[in-house]
Amino acid sequence: MRTPVRQHSSSAVTLYVIVLVAFQVFLITVAVEAFETGTKSLAWATAITSVVLVGGSALFLRYLRP
Amino acid sequence: MSSDPAPGGEDHADGDATPVPVPLWRRDFPIQSAGEEDVTRREFTRYLVLGAGALAVGNVGLAVWTQLRSINQGEPRAIVAAATVPIGGTYLFRYPSEDDPAILLRLDAEQIVAFSQKCTHLGCVVFFQEQENRWHCPCHEGNFVAESGAVISGPPVRPLGKINIEVRSDGMIWALGRPA
Repeated sequence: MRTPVRQHSSSAVTLYVIVLVAFQVFLITVAVEAFETGTKSLAWATAITSVVLVGGSALFLRYLRP
Repeated sequence: MSSDPAPGGEDHADGDATPVPVPLWRRDFPIQSAGEEDVTRREFTRYLVLGAGALAVGNVGLAVWTQLRSINQGEPRAIVAAATVPIGGTYLFRYPSEDDPAILLRLDAEQIVAFSQKCTHLGCVVFFQEQENRWHCPCHEGNFVAESGAVISGPPVRPLGKINIEVRSDGMIWALGRPA
């Protein structure tokens, strides 16, 4: 029995969000390192990237069927 | 629980006389609990996005904390008597908090400097190399100017954090806790 194409795409979106969350975990480690060494530019770059990723994740959520 | 189908029986959809077969697993495990409904993909993804949002808030918080944190923000306090530090000698202390290692160096009779001991590369502890007259980080071979803390060589790109100090009339060296 074939899986509908729409279900495939929503699974892909979920997988993509999982990857984004994993990247967020990586970013928090970078932020901690920036905090420890007092690197303000790196800390802000990390924060901005993190916020953009969350925005992207929220947008992907809209494409998921209920 | 009263609406549970009898084990081994059949359920009927509302308004439909067609019997809906009870799954085998339900017959083998005829126990229901509150909230046992499956989590949909949307719900699962929503939890992920919420988790990512929490991490992003943490990231922004760390950035703000990093921005606001300064080595010259602690309470002014006496470090050590100037007379006890010989020329070319160092003195270890902690400033601005007990978690922040710092080091003081007497360059000559008049000049004393103090720096955070954390290397600006990855936070290893630097020490003074008297022969080369420089601060040295043994982790990745970073070197800094003894007088100013500026980078000489190695992976660090920022100077050591300089602690503003002064020698007061009682002969004690004080960390000022503010910009000079």
